[in-house]
Amino acid sequence: MSMIGKSIRRSDGPLKVTGQAQYTVDIDLPGMLHAKVLRSPYPHARLVRIDASAAEALPGVVVLTAADLTDLDNAFGVTLKDQPIVAIDRVRYVGDPVAAVAADTIPAAEAALELIEVEYDPLPVVMDAEQAMREGSVILHDTERPRSPMFVGWPAERFRRNLNVCSGYHVEQGDVESGFAAADHVFEDVYTLPPIQHGNMEPHATVASWDARGGLSMHTSTQSPSIIRAQLAEIFGLPENRVRVMVPYVGGGYGAKVFAKIEPLVAALARKARRPVRLVLTREEEFATATRHGATVHVKTGVMNDGRIVAREIRAIYDTGAYADTGPRASKKGGYNSVGPYRIPNEHLTSYCVYTNKPPAVAFRGFGVAQVCWAGESQLDDIARRLGIDPLELRVRNLLREGDTFVTGETLHAVSTEKTARAATAALDWGSARPAPRRDVARGRGMACCIKSTSTPSNSSASVRLNADGSAHLLTSSCEIGQGSMSVLAQIVAESLSMPVERVTVSFPDTDVTPFDQSTLSSRTTFSVGRAATDAAHAVRQQLLELAAGQLEAAADDLEIVGGSVFVRGSKAEARTFAQLIRAHFGSPAGSLFGHSVFQTRGGLDTLTGKGKASATWFFSAAAAEVEVDLETGKVTVVRIATAADVGRAINPAQCHLQNEGSMLTALGGALFEEIAFDGGQPVNATFLDYGLPSFEDAPLAFRSILLETPSLDGPFGARGVGESVISPVPPAIANAIADALGGARVRSLPLSPERVLEAIARASAEKVTA
Amino acid sequence: MNVAVTVNERRMTLDVRPNETLIEVLRERLGLRGTEEACGVGVCGSCTVLIDGRPVSSCLVLAADIDGRAVTSIEGIGTDGRLDPVQEAFLEHHAFQCGFCTAGMIMAVKGLLAEKPRATREEAKDYLGGNLCRCGTYEEVLAAVESLTKA
Repeated sequence: MSMIGKSIRRSDGPLKVTGQAQYTVDIDLPGMLHAKVLRSPYPHARLVRIDASAAEALPGVVVLTAADLTDLDNAFGVTLKDQPIVAIDRVRYVGDPVAAVAADTIPAAEAALELIEVEYDPLPVVMDAEQAMREGSVILHDTERPRSPMFVGWPAERFRRNLNVCSGYHVEQGDVESGFAAADHVFEDVYTLPPIQHGNMEPHATVASWDARGGLSMHTSTQSPSIIRAQLAEIFGLPENRVRVMVPYVGGGYGAKVFAKIEPLVAALARKARRPVRLVLTREEEFATATRHGATVHVKTGVMNDGRIVAREIRAIYDTGAYADTGPRASKKGGYNSVGPYRIPNEHLTSYCVYTNKPPAVAFRGFGVAQVCWAGESQLDDIARRLGIDPLELRVRNLLREGDTFVTGETLHAVSTEKTARAATAALDWGSARPAPRRDVARGRGMACCIKSTSTPSNSSASVRLNADGSAHLLTSSCEIGQGSMSVLAQIVAESLSMPVERVTVSFPDTDVTPFDQSTLSSRTTFSVGRAATDAAHAVRQQLLELAAGQLEAAADDLEIVGGSVFVRGSKAEARTFAQLIRAHFGSPAGSLFGHSVFQTRGGLDTLTGKGKASATWFFSAAAAEVEVDLETGKVTVVRIATAADVGRAINPAQCHLQNEGSMLTALGGALFEEIAFDGGQPVNATFLDYGLPSFEDAPLAFRSILLETPSLDGPFGARGVGESVISPVPPAIANAIADALGGARVRSLPLSPERVLEAIARASAEKVTA
Repeated sequence: MNVAVTVNERRMTLDVRPNETLIEVLRERLGLRGTEEACGVGVCGSCTVLIDGRPVSSCLVLAADIDGRAVTSIEGIGTDGRLDPVQEAFLEHHAFQCGFCTAGMIMAVKGLLAEKPRATREEAKDYLGGNLCRCGTYEEVLAAVESLTKA
């Protein structure tokens, strides 16, 4: 029975429903100390003096400050090395780590924190990214920071306005000025959205220890063990074979745990303490560690009366907070994806990544696309209304098609733009008669489309080890963050080896043992790691066939494998199980067969032209929403949402649907109420008391997740990925539904709070009165 | 201070600090690490356990207040070799993803079914409103609940 397309129960299920699944927060090591972090209360200040002597005098307490890190380069960062492990002479956001304490208990660590004296000299603050780009702005980093090989932006002289702009990207085709001149209508708008919280239920957590040979090992809640190993090796001047990163189950990531976050700090503290140290962030500290980029997106679109889009100019400013993290990559991705899934002859797309005194903005589900999709898809509906064309029809007239050339210059294949758009809208009975309006409640429908790329180039390795008894191990550095990767990868290996899936165990990442993986991000695991796993399994399959050919005295081509047994086609009586083949080969039930594969995607974009190959495979998706708007309170109820995502091939359909549900709910929260708010640089809602995540009662009354399967060229069994596909089109679909309900009244800032909806209603009636 | 408490049907006497919480008792004193803390302010429900059969946020309950009570954590449901029907329903309906909120979610569902064995979908949503799941498994949890209320 094929394992592909089967919604089998997940292998981690029994552990997760019994409380036996182990997360980093659950790990103790003998002699372990507990850590606490002292953080800046100022959004921007010089760090004048720090005196930890009173704290250090407490029995069993170890304190880490920048003075302990003078033997190394106290800076890390996956694109720009601009983030100190603990502050050196400056703090740049409320929550910036200033010192760290390790003690026998949490209360002892907290008591020690209280005794650390810090003198700050406050500096002016900049909280708005557009303001931060202007001449005369407060500057966060006085010198240009060293770049890592993972930096991908322009050379500085091309994008630099001032030192707050840490990265820029631009790509174009045709000539937008001529395009706008020739257009019948030109629409120019500004859309904004604030930073939001990932909401990973398991906080960031790391347990680090050093051994007597100067080797570092850690358990950490991460999505990127291989890259973190490289980052730590570089920071501490160690070869990678002396740094070990192990990852158990991860209680949610969504991008918050991509690349190094608290790992360098915990490693440095453990180094000083000479004992294992565990740090688990509080929920407030989560808000001060990782957020999603807020952005301001300027969209200018030129259209003809018949609905053809002839020109589009985008200028997207991403607010990366105090440190770059993956901001340059997210903003670049937003840059070229900003045109949307449309064929437009004249395109001019620019994005900037800008520092402000906010907590660092990092990778987030949707990675740079959510911001530009919010802007572009909202404006397109205004355009449709103005031209008197149905929003679906307007899009269909302009969608990218199979074989089209994207603005980056690459050819698009397996394009399902129209299929996804029609599937999502059909699920909401698009075009059908509206229910009768009720007093004080307006009802509307909206839709949005999305195109998304995946991180390219990239590199994933997998090893399959067949044990003497015929059971198998798959070794990868993929992290089980909730997406079901362990189960899906087991299905892929089981299928590739024609063996029972229960006899395949997928490893946890352990960089001493599991081979390199680029990271568990960018919806890439099934596509890249799954492909490597398929090829590794095939290598073992080949060995099995050769053994069987010898032992059964047949040609390998005449052999078949079913249920973990090999036999000559048509002659099942002479079957040999994997265990029998291995035993005969080694002379006893000992030894193993081993297969390995590296799946590499090639490409990347030229830093000057922005052109090249942005993505090994593309994601096409759409969302449609039906809402009710209470005209008295402005409250929006999402009645129905339908999403359509082309997953290439659904290896485990139930897990694909779960991913879409998670994307949809996070998008809904960001659309209606989620926002990290600041007052003069101070966060004001950094707990779950004040920052709401969508609950059972916020979920739409009905949700439909539609999976389309247009096989990708290179994915295992045609699979692409699904983790982020529908998160970007959901907010504009909701906003478009609201506008539809309100006769065109438009809100251009997320979240679509009741206040903003009422303001939009008031503005629309005022305009009607004056018209 | 001493508290006499039954945890997962085991009677015990514990000497607890005045500000010690129930979740600290479970995780640190008793090594029962299935219950997880995610928000520390009693909003997210990940730390849900049952006290005398009713769900509570163990991060907010003081150990001092469990004297004479019976506490049930995720480790206390199901018996050797057999899962509790709620656990089985969660597996059948794929009602989890990262699993961090799952123990608390299951205990809340236990509380719901004890109080309203025929709960409607609306009643279930209302009762479970204090159990947050960022991975987004609400539909599947409701399907699991429905399989038990309509059984």
